[in-house]
Parts: sequence; structure tokens; C-alpha cells
Amino acid sequence: MKKLGSESVISPIWNWKITAASFSLLIFVVFLAISFGPVHLEFQKIIRTLFGLPGGLTGQERTLLIDLRLPRALLAVIVGAALATSGAVYQTVFRNPLADPYLLGAAAGAGLGATIAITSAGADLYSLLPIFSFFGAILAVLVSFFISGKFFAEPNSLLLSGIAVGSFATAVQTYLQQRNSSSLRPVYSWILGELTVANWQKVTWSSIYIFIALTILITVSKQLDGLMLTDEEAYSLGINPNRLRVIAVIAATLATATAVSASGLIGFVGIVVPHLVRGITHRVTNRGLLTIALVGASFLVLADLGARTLLSPAELPIGVITAFVGAPFFLVVLRKKRLVAK
Amino acid sequence: MIKVEDLNVRFGQKEILKDINVEIEHSKWTCLVGPNGAGKTTFLKALLGSQSYSGSITDSGAEVYGNHDRNVAFVPQQPQIPIGMSVSEYVMLGRSKRDGWGNESKKSRTLVADILKLTGLFGMLNQFVSQLSGGEMQRALIARALAQEPTLILLDEPTSALDLHHQIAVLNNIELLKERGVTIVSTMHDITLAAMYAEKIVVMREGKVLLSGTSDFVIHSPELQVAFENRISVFTLDSGRPVIVAKKDLSN
Amino acid sequence: MFQNRSSFGVRILVATITIAVLGLTPTSAASGKPQRIISLSPSATETLFAIGAGSQVIAVDDLSNFPTNAPISKLSAFSPNVEALLNYKPDLIILNADATKAIEVKAALEKLNIKVFLEKAPKDLSQVYLEITALGRATDNLASAQTVVTTMKGKIRAAIKSGRQAKKISFFHELDNTLYTATSDTFIGKVYKDFNLTNVADPAASADSAGYPQLQSEYLIKSNPRIIFLSDAQYGESLATLMKRPGWNGISAVSKKSVIALPEDIPSRWGPRLVDFYEFIAAAIGKIK
Repeated sequence: MKKLGSESVISPIWNWKITAASFSLLIFVVFLAISFGPVHLEFQKIIRTLFGLPGGLTGQERTLLIDLRLPRALLAVIVGAALATSGAVYQTVFRNPLADPYLLGAAAGAGLGATIAITSAGADLYSLLPIFSFFGAILAVLVSFFISGKFFAEPNSLLLSGIAVGSFATAVQTYLQQRNSSSLRPVYSWILGELTVANWQKVTWSSIYIFIALTILITVSKQLDGLMLTDEEAYSLGINPNRLRVIAVIAATLATATAVSASGLIGFVGIVVPHLVRGITHRVTNRGLLTIALVGASFLVLADLGARTLLSPAELPIGVITAFVGAPFFLVVLRKKRLVAK
Repeated sequence: MIKVEDLNVRFGQKEILKDINVEIEHSKWTCLVGPNGAGKTTFLKALLGSQSYSGSITDSGAEVYGNHDRNVAFVPQQPQIPIGMSVSEYVMLGRSKRDGWGNESKKSRTLVADILKLTGLFGMLNQFVSQLSGGEMQRALIARALAQEPTLILLDEPTSALDLHHQIAVLNNIELLKERGVTIVSTMHDITLAAMYAEKIVVMREGKVLLSGTSDFVIHSPELQVAFENRISVFTLDSGRPVIVAKKDLSN
Repeated sequence: MFQNRSSFGVRILVATITIAVLGLTPTSAASGKPQRIISLSPSATETLFAIGAGSQVIAVDDLSNFPTNAPISKLSAFSPNVEALLNYKPDLIILNADATKAIEVKAALEKLNIKVFLEKAPKDLSQVYLEITALGRATDNLASAQTVVTTMKGKIRAAIKSGRQAKKISFFHELDNTLYTATSDTFIGKVYKDFNLTNVADPAASADSAGYPQLQSEYLIKSNPRIIFLSDAQYGESLATLMKRPGWNGISAVSKKSVIALPEDIPSRWGPRLVDFYEFIAAAIGKIK
């Protein structure tokens, strides 16, 4: 898709073959992920088990595949898709290539919610941890909206209030942790992000919310391009920019909050993957949102595979892998796109 | 005909436009002139339909506020420049009104190619919009507006960043739109150019319309002088073209 | 009728023998003596080897450095990796309740039909004895565990008797050089309390729910502890470094040179070596009499 047109016709803006290719990539990567691990499972038997054919895995091995590896891979798919997509949407809405899904204080709010859960009643409340972090994220974003006053006339003022809310939430969190030092370890590992013990329950509820959010975003994805222009330009092209921004931010926040409550704070996916896809396809149109979701999913599945195998038997926190891989990638893409001043 | 009746626009306590009554003819070029702060840009936004107002603005009888049935192109003075977007992708955005978002037809893609050639941007179609010079950017804006095939085109200072010969080239291209029945409303600092292209001129000052009428009439009127606090001089060339310049000696 | 009675007797005999045989034979690993134990808790490791379960242990976590002949591995006590554990084909895993996602790890392991013993950090001495006994039960070394407990009780009692003074002696337990400390709410705080020592950190107990507040330098100097126990000696702190701290020369523990460097690990292990810790404290108190 490098060259745009020759002679008399501009070539199509988006090539859906790329979307198809990223879908195939995802399937392949998931198979890879469930095939590897400290315990060796025969590849043939894995296939047979998945398709319900005779001669598949039995007993402990089967449980390992179905109840451990598969939900973990699927959770990585869902969370990766959610983070990448909401990062891309925030970048469009705020016209800021450095935006990530944790803008508007969502990360700090989720962290505060998690800390409250962990410090309130230890093990008992641990199962409520996802709920607390989810609402923490949502509340932080709502407060950012509230503080910035207008419902969006100025995307930048919303960004600033997000920073203020985030700082405040972090301060409260730090205070709580100081008063309850036994929470330090659990909160720290939550912050690093973990897909370590995914289960089908988690996969189910997180996929419902994230599916809803992503469906909304992909439905409006084509119109999101209008938000890259001034409000008047967008209006002239048939868009209601304020309404579209509200819908987009609500859906993106829902996706982010769900992802965070399922797997903690995993960084870099939301900021790197959109640029990666845009860099490879040479397009910034939001028609690429579905592709970004698929690539984000593959990215996180691979990162999780690394987290499980690189330092086996220890687990590397997945946030470390995404940072190690994400940061250099990001620099390369930035230079190629010459986002840095020419 | 676009009828503007008793138009008032307020931002909080501040009155930006006061009691405006004008008529803008279809398929003609109307230009708004006046000093800074006269409310010209706000007037354009009101005509677009994105700016709320009290009073009435009707285009062929239909109120314009929130009305997306019209095809209006808006060329802002300072656009938002999307990062990482190529020129052709940018101009193609204009087709979203006709084709719907995200569905460029082959016809659209051919049209955009033609427009890029017309505006001299074809050689840059793969370049990032963010890398264009001020003048090239302004041409890209015009190109996008042309791609939209609008019935009304609103331009806010369309030539301020262009060098002389490009100014004329762009304005000539816009003028061609009249043949297709497109109504043109623009704001311009350069009154000489306004006089060259606009059939009708509306003189504004501090939110009010001082005078509106044909270019000839307005150029030689006292209201024009009042609008600019008597700091301009009007000359007429042998060809009959008026030239309006600022006085060097600013003492009245 | 004679035949009926004798056949009845035969049936009873057969039944008795069967029951006896069944009762004496270990049926399956799950309900009998676990032979492939993994310990993911350094304290539990020490206990297991002390109660005679050492031969049943196939792997211990990377922090379990005592006893030295324990099969140390790269397994993590705090971030357990379910799949890695599975690879060892264990039949019992001793899991630390403070490990990340301990509950979920336990659930996952049990789904894989591996027994899990969730070891909670004991809050005081009586809980230590209960944990050791429970470990004995779980590894089928109950009698041996009970013996260990009895011995520990005796030795600790003796240590307390020899170290405990009638008059109250104040002390400060230093966790690091920014003056984090442990109050009497903590396990180690209770050990000191058994010796009737007064912990200068107790007034700050409300600052941290887990019992590890940070003290102000000014306050510490004013409270003038008679003994200072250094838990950070392994990081370079000693009487010499304490003397360099501004205003510390006036503290009686420093001026009278009763600054005690605690041995590594022992204070943080609640297994059988707890006895060593009690005896160590008793000796330290003895020196300042």
C-alpha cells in the first residue's frame, strides 16, 4: 500500500487484505501460545483435543490445555485487542499521537480501586478486586470530565484534568499503601500486569464488555477520521464531532477499564500497536481499527508467551516484556514516520 | 438565496454578532471584509450551521443550524493537520459527504486524482500533509473542498499564506465553481482581491454589518472607510480595477 | 447348621483380613503419604526437613536455602508458575498464602488434581506450633512433628527463662537505615515481647496496619533504646555506621555498645530454627546485664 495511485486514479485508501492477514496472524499466534510451555504437549494431540476428535489429550494434560493455557491465551487476545483499540481511539480523539488508553486518569483510578480492595480486607476482598479496579477507572474518567467542565469543547482541557485526577488518585494510593505495608507486594504485582492465572470466568465477563465496546468503536471507526480535523471541517463533512467524541471516549474507557480489571496495568500495547499498524500500512484512517485490534491481540499473546517461557520456571511480568519490545519498536516507527521534527 | 434575519450570536456575556440582516445570492461570490474582531469567522460558522444563534438563517427556506442535508464545504484559516496522513488520503476525506465515510468509489478516486493535478499537488500525493509548506497546505484545503463537490463553500482567509501567483491560481479555481452553481462566501483581508473576485461585499465591524452591496458600490462607499477607521485609500487603475491599500501616514 | 456357622465364620475371617489388609496398605498417593512434595516456602522447607519429611521433598523454591541439602530449584515462592510446577509431577505443593494470586494458583492446581497445602504466615508462637503439626499431618509425619513441637516448646521456654529480665528494657528493631521498624503487632515483635522487652516503635503502631511503620529520627533519639537490633547488618549497618548518624551517639544502646547484628534469615523463618532466634536474643540480653 505504499504508492498511492499512478496516472489517473488514486488507489483505494484501505486494503482489506491486510485485515484478513492480521486475522490469520492472530489464529497462528494463538496456536503457538497454547502449544508452548514448561510442560511439553504433543502438537497433534492439541489439535485433536481442540476439535473434539478422538486421540486427544487426557487427564492432567487436557486440563492444562483447556483450563490453563487456552483461557490465558484468550485473555491475552481480549485484553490486547481492547488496549490497542482504545489507544488508537484516544490518539484520534485527542489528536495526540502519544495518547494511550490510560489517559484521563484511568490507570491511576484503577490502581486506587485495586489498592482499596487489597487493603480493605485482604484475601476476602480479593475476588472483588476486578470490580473495584473497574469502577476506579470509570470514576476517574468521569471526574476528569466533570472537572474539565464542558463536555468536550476542548479536548486539551480534558487531557489536563485527566492528569490532575491521575496525580490525585496516585497520591491517595501511595498513602494507603504506606499505611498498609502488607499491600505493597500484591499491588505492585497488579501494577506490573499479569495474565498468570486466567480462568474461563474471567475470560467470559471480560470478553462481553470488551466485545460491546469494540463493536461500538469499529462501527463508528470510519467517521472517527473526521475528528482529526477541526470541528467545523468535521461538521461540514456530516459529523457531529462532540457527540462522536463522547461515544468514542465512553466505549474506549469501557474497554480499558475492563482490560485493566482483568489483567492489571499492561503498558505500551495501547500506544505502540496503533503506530505499528499505521507505520506498516502507511494509513492513519480509523478504518484500520479492526486491524489494530487484531494486531494488538497478537502482540499481547506473543508477549505473554515470552513472559511464560523466557525465564522459565519464573514468570516475567508481562508489563516488562511489552516495555522491552514496545519501546524500541516505538522509536523505530516514530523515526520512520518522521513524527520527530524533520 | 441564503437569508440572514436578525442574526445574533453570543459567547456567554459577549455579543459577537449583532442584528445582522443580509441576503447572499446563490451561485455568486460574496466576500466579508472588515478589521479583526469584526466577527467574520463567527458569521461563517453560523452559515455553516455549526454555530448556534438567535434569529434566523435560511438556505432555500430551510434553517441551517444542525442541518446536514446541505453539502457545505468549510475551509478554515488554521486547519488541524492530521499527523501521518498523506495528501491523497487527506483530500479524499472530502468525498465522505458524497460517498459516505469510508467508501470511496472509483469515480471519487478518479476525481481526486484530477483535483490534485488541478491544484498542482499530484506530485506530492504520498507526502505527509504535515510536511507541506503553508502554501501547499492551503492548496490541499481547497483541493479537499473541491473534492466535496459542495453547493456552498465557506472560506476563511483562503489566500493569506499563499504567494502572489498562487493566490490568483487558487482564486481562479474557486471562481470556476460558480459555473457549477456553487455559492461562495469568503472572508478576506486583502480587499483588492475581494474586489477582483466577489460580486458582493459585506462590510463588517465589531459584530455589525455596516454595508452590503455590489463590490463597486461598497468599495467606494464611506462605510468602508468607517470600518477601517479611515486608514485606507482606494485607487482605481486604468483598467478600472480598484486597489485598496493602507495609508502610510496613520494620522487622520 | 454346623456348616452355616463355620461358613459364616469363614466369611467374617475373610472380611476381617480384607479390612486389615486394606487398612494397612497405602491406597493412592492422594490419600496416603505424599512422596513428591514441592515446598514454595522457605520456612516450610526447614520444617519439612526437621520433621522427617525431607526424603519426600523433590524440589524447593529459590529462596529455600536451609537446610543446605534441600533440592533447591528456580521455582519462585512469590510468583508461582503453575505449569512449571506441573512439570515436576508433584503430589503435594506447600504454597505460601502470601504468594501472588495464591487462591487462584491453588484452584488451578487442584483442578489439575494436585493437592495444595496453603501455608499462612503464623501470627504468633502458638500458630507456629499449629502449622508445624499441620505440616506433619499433611505429609504423614504427625508423630515426628509433634516431637519437634514439644522439643521447641521446651527449648524456647528455657531461653525465655534465661533471658527475661524483671525490669523492662527498651529496644529498637531496625529494618533499614531509613528507620523502618517492626512493632509488637508483628511476629518478630511478639518474640521480643516474650522477653519482656519494650519496643520503642509501639506508639507508632497505628501508622501501618501490618506493623511496619517508619520512625522519625528525632523520636528515636528521644526514646533512647537500651538495645538496638539490626536486621540490616547484611546491608552494611553496624555500631560504627550508627555512631556516624547525627545525634545517635547519645542513644544508650550506641554509647553502651549494645548494638546487635541479627543473623540473616533466622529471624524471618518461623520453622524449627525459631529456637535459635530465641536463644540468640536471650544471649544478647545476657550480655547487657
